[in-house]
Amino acid sequence: MVGLRLVNVSKKGRGKEVLKDVSLEVRDKELFVLAGPPGAGKTTILKIVSGLVSPDEGEVYIGSEMVNAVPAAERDVGMVFETPAIYPNITGFDNIAFPLTLKKLPEAEIKSRVTEIAQMLQISHLLDRKPTTYSGGELQRVALARVLIRNPRVLLLDEPLKNLDAKIRERMRAELKRLQRELGITMIFSTHDQLEAMTVGDRIAVMDDGVINQVDTPEKTYQSPRTVMVARFIGSPTMNLIDCRLKEVDGRWMLDATDFEINVTRREEVTRAYSAGSSLVLGIRPEDIGIADLGKGASRTVGTIHMMQNIGDETVVAVKIGNTIMNTVISKGRVVRYGEKVSVDLRDERVHIFDKKTKTAIL
Amino acid sequence: MKARQALGPAVRYILVILVCLWTLTPVAWMISISFKPPTEWYSPNIIPERPILDNYITLFNSTIPIGGTYFMTSITEVITRPLFNSLIIASLSTVFALFIGFLAAYGVSRYRAGGTFALFFTLLTRMLPGATFVAPLMVYYSTLGFIDTYPGLVMLYTAVTLTYAIWILKGFIDEIPPEWEEAAILEGATPWTVVSRVTLPLVRGGMLASALFIFILNWTEFLFALVISVTQVRTLPVQISLYASAVGRMYGPQAALGLVATIPMVILGYAIQRYLVTGFTFGRVR
Amino acid sequence: MAKLEVRNLRKVFGELEAVKDASFEVSEKETLCLLGPSGCGKTTTLRMIAGLETPTSGEVYIDGVLVNDVPPQKRGIGLVFQDFAVFTHMNVFDNIAFGLQIRNVPKGKIEAKVDEIARLLDLQNVLFKRAKGLSLSEIQRVAIGRSLAVDPKVLLLDEPLSNVDARTRDRMRAELKEIQADIGITTVYVTHDQLEAMTLADRIAVMNEGLIDHLGTPNEIYEQPKTLFVARFIGSPSMNFIECHLTEKDGKPTLEADGFSIDASGLSESVKRQPIGSELTLGVRPEDSWLETEKRSAEAMRAEVQLIELLGSKSIYHLKIGRSPLLVKTYTAAGVEVGGTVWVALDKNKLHIFDKKTGGAMI
Repeated sequence: MVGLRLVNVSKKGRGKEVLKDVSLEVRDKELFVLAGPPGAGKTTILKIVSGLVSPDEGEVYIGSEMVNAVPAAERDVGMVFETPAIYPNITGFDNIAFPLTLKKLPEAEIKSRVTEIAQMLQISHLLDRKPTTYSGGELQRVALARVLIRNPRVLLLDEPLKNLDAKIRERMRAELKRLQRELGITMIFSTHDQLEAMTVGDRIAVMDDGVINQVDTPEKTYQSPRTVMVARFIGSPTMNLIDCRLKEVDGRWMLDATDFEINVTRREEVTRAYSAGSSLVLGIRPEDIGIADLGKGASRTVGTIHMMQNIGDETVVAVKIGNTIMNTVISKGRVVRYGEKVSVDLRDERVHIFDKKTKTAIL
Repeated sequence: MKARQALGPAVRYILVILVCLWTLTPVAWMISISFKPPTEWYSPNIIPERPILDNYITLFNSTIPIGGTYFMTSITEVITRPLFNSLIIASLSTVFALFIGFLAAYGVSRYRAGGTFALFFTLLTRMLPGATFVAPLMVYYSTLGFIDTYPGLVMLYTAVTLTYAIWILKGFIDEIPPEWEEAAILEGATPWTVVSRVTLPLVRGGMLASALFIFILNWTEFLFALVISVTQVRTLPVQISLYASAVGRMYGPQAALGLVATIPMVILGYAIQRYLVTGFTFGRVR
Repeated sequence: MAKLEVRNLRKVFGELEAVKDASFEVSEKETLCLLGPSGCGKTTTLRMIAGLETPTSGEVYIDGVLVNDVPPQKRGIGLVFQDFAVFTHMNVFDNIAFGLQIRNVPKGKIEAKVDEIARLLDLQNVLFKRAKGLSLSEIQRVAIGRSLAVDPKVLLLDEPLSNVDARTRDRMRAELKEIQADIGITTVYVTHDQLEAMTLADRIAVMNEGLIDHLGTPNEIYEQPKTLFVARFIGSPSMNFIECHLTEKDGKPTLEADGFSIDASGLSESVKRQPIGSELTLGVRPEDSWLETEKRSAEAMRAEVQLIELLGSKSIYHLKIGRSPLLVKTYTAAGVEVGGTVWVALDKNKLHIFDKKTGGAMI
């Protein structure tokens, strides 16, 4: 059974194309993440699914039903917005009960359902107070309660953790994932934060500029990014992307990146499809670059330590090789110094190769 | 150091007192005259030497001489009718202006109704001096039979104050994040339910502030009331101006009526001040 | 460049004591970060240094001079606001030159100064573009440029990266670090993001409810947090905390927790000298433990896998040992699944003990 589907949806807004022929499939009970930089079209997709916005072209299916003509009020979709839709002039209880009062349910039933959901989300202490006293995290949880109390068939969350403090975001990420599994509800979660996308989603759709670049599990997206955009977006620190040229020397195929070379003789997908001189882009993740003291057994590539960023359990080190600067990570125990010369080990087999013109991965 | 720091607040207090004196002195003077007999109407003392209540009594019973003198108003009507008229006209106009204004403001704010021009146009209408369209209005009204009628004044006041209602309410509606209404829509609310249960409660402060502002405008309007009303719908400001006798203007009764006329506005302002919550604290809670 | 000193700063707003007692020194060219959750008093402290708030008590010294009564514009500070406060209708040149133009500095000098700053901040190409169309990173640099134009002694930044999406934030952080290195100006900035603090600061003051819990270098704070609050706040994901009490097992000091026990012989003497039965809080960072698919180390404990957050080459495992939850961050292991069992061992040398009542670290 399919949770929901978008088929060839396009939308124009303010002169530019916000969504270009987007097709998506979300499975029943799946936690699906829409990831991408601001302006990619994530919010527009959510608004089209909810019915608040109509697509210029394409169809929207919830379950097996095409809902293009169904007004938002009847689609039974719940949405949590970036700025929580919680009214400051009424109490937490009244806010959560709001959708039920719209349906004119009996008071006793409303009361029991609100109490139940408040307990599940641990916000019972907020029911009697007005939202003006709530913290950011509490606001979002009340907004969540308000949406969940209706048991909608689909739950949409538009960057719900964006305005929260870093620490609270961490906690709510895991909470949301746990909640989704407990309730078994089909959920679409949008975010610009790649870490959130990776940790929260069952599957991720990475999009940019109205186009979906890749839909895959977090693992596959990380290991095999399909386009340069996905490669750059997923993974922190960012993958190092360098322009290069394919060249052949004595039967050996190399990617010439001016300041260093990568051996790609064994990569048939490249050597068979491209001729010498082709412009390509190579991508190598920081954790696939090793630095070591110069000395015996060192690699031929030499670099200088350019900058260091201590991020707690690891340190991000920027190494300068010729005119190219690449990032690598070292564990927190190791010590390196500015300007120190080191041997750089680039793991050839872990290099991702992209076509420079189409920006897609060569597989 | 301390002396210099104390100077700041001291200067502020002095300025506030000066401004208060500037605005309240005429009011104080008016109160003073309302208790004075005709002989003292032109005298400079603020406390009447011989305070009387006749100025007030004559508002309700025009036959008594004021202060035992030969002054008597030339008006035989008492003020109950004008008072009633002012209340009806000002209240109805305010309610209509708010109702239509809210709907218009909502359309402009949420749906950009009228594009960029419509909103500016309503503002333009307020830039013409009222006197310029007295004449054309008179022609229309007499042709259509609106002279000296309630609908005549109410329609005019509503039309004029509508601009203010729209501008003030639009500002308040803009403050409300659209997501708050969208959430209600997704929960099955009809557009009317959204407006009545979400938007209106949240702009209550704005509605009341506009109500007070517009009510005062309507209540104190003089020019058109003078021109359009004759006897049936004469309002208080016009009534005040009519206190004249064969021997000159009756400042006493005018002052008295002036004071009486301010009472409804003061009551209204006092009653709603509690609801004029300025500065919303919704949205970004840090 | 000057020294900044803050002594016993206190600020009360009506009934709220926003800052209770803040004292610290910032040496020439040093960058100090005021770090803490919303409402801890960090922004108020910064504003008192800037002169935008008058301290209820306490003093601020810039370059040895008491500046409590000196208005902000005469203190020789540069302030970069959270939303940058760049004039959108003016171009970059006018923005940077603003402070100088107000002070009626001769045109020739203004041009020279703006030129110097533009070169420092890499803004030469956009110098005459209107500020409105610039990218966020460029706007940030313009804001910094403007504050630097008047040759401030101290640079103050209020949450410079909080309004920015994750991807851009990473990039701007690296840029800021380079700018810091180039300019070398005494800097104080405020943030709630511990990662920002770790990467950009020479020293960090972690604030909690108006007080500074720990003032030290990023390394010190990370490796030896003075209080439980600091330990929890720094590091992502947060340090694990386990309630336990001190006992003896087989003649060896042991920490007994809810469902398992840990060898305490590696802990400091002062901890081991505590009376048997003392209630303590054990802290261990997610990266200071490792997983085994079968029990291989003597101290490995059996745990249930409740959730797996994939980060890339590493993952965060949400485990449960006995009845205690534990987060472990390590290289993604094959064969570990949600609902299954793993063996987890804690690094004996990286255990932190906190007094259960005061929250202070026991060393």
